[in-house]
Amino acid sequence: MLTLGLGLVLGAAFGALLQLSGASSHTKIVNALRLKDLTIMKLILTAIGVGLVGVHLLDLFGLANMKVKELYLLGIILAGVVFGVGFAISGYCPGTALAACAEGKPDAWVTVMGGLGGALVFAFLFPEIEEHLLSVGRYGPVTIPDLFGIHGIWIAAPLGIVCIWLAARLPSPGGAR
Amino acid sequence: MKKDIPDRHGTRHESANPVLAWWAGGIGIGLVLIVAVGLVQPIGVSTQYVVLDGVLLHNVLPDVASKSPYLAKTAQGWTLATYEFFFVLGIPLGALMAALVTARFTTRLVPVEWSRRFGSNPGNRLVWSFVGGFLLLFGARFGGGCTSGHMISGISQLAISSFFFSAALFISGIVTARLLYR
Repeated sequence: MLTLGLGLVLGAAFGALLQLSGASSHTKIVNALRLKDLTIMKLILTAIGVGLVGVHLLDLFGLANMKVKELYLLGIILAGVVFGVGFAISGYCPGTALAACAEGKPDAWVTVMGGLGGALVFAFLFPEIEEHLLSVGRYGPVTIPDLFGIHGIWIAAPLGIVCIWLAARLPSPGGAR
Repeated sequence: MKKDIPDRHGTRHESANPVLAWWAGGIGIGLVLIVAVGLVQPIGVSTQYVVLDGVLLHNVLPDVASKSPYLAKTAQGWTLATYEFFFVLGIPLGALMAALVTARFTTRLVPVEWSRRFGSNPGNRLVWSFVGGFLLLFGARFGGGCTSGHMISGISQLAISSFFFSAALFISGIVTARLLYR
């Protein structure tokens, strides 16, 4: 019960932040992909910069509950390509579509319905996909620090600073903010 | 918090103008991730589409649902009462409250940029929204995550798969947007 409540509160904070930052706006997403308004790139880079440093600081004290995704080269790249096409067509991602649904955007409801369809079809195709595509270049859940055998903070701290620096350097629409 | 957003496009209203600056929103999302990683696990959304599919299908056609090992494994116990599902349930809740508090709850069928390029036919937009959503979740489940799970959580953990997924996603998204919105 407590964990359900915690999930709801953290999710609500996430949803509110997406909404307030303009990430649930079709216009903002499409114009980010058209490279006309980089606000969303700046937002994501800042989140990743803060996340990189914070998560690895937690990890330094043994407090991070990590969950690293598996690497399967061919499949990951194909998946990213398919996702990118869907991202540009719909103008939402799986999370921001839910936020946009709640702020009264019917095309986001349909995007979520399409998403449920896509997820269901994937679930039933999974055995075939796993056998033929996920087996190519499969390395397991590897991270960059694993490759070098060092603690993640040594990479996360400088990379986090680079992300935030880049976020600040990218141009804002209209020069404001 | 309350702020009036000027309507730039005459009658059309899109909450494109953010209330939070990119840095404030970015720090906030980063902090949500850090709290989540400290208390439970990294944030993620797309898995819960499969969970909802699984639970719905298991209610109607339990035999068909059980036939997919992927569905049975993802929607473990065919229940929605999990931390992960409630996190995802929180997203529209938080977004609704944010939109109401800032007086930015607005509705429209066809987004501004879409109608400029493809016209204001709602059927057209809805069909393509469905197709876009389908590809979005097919790709996310194929890759094992979406913008939240792969990009924000995954890169923050320095996961190599997440760097590849994010690079492929952005290149493909930018190329597709170029082709669509010439």
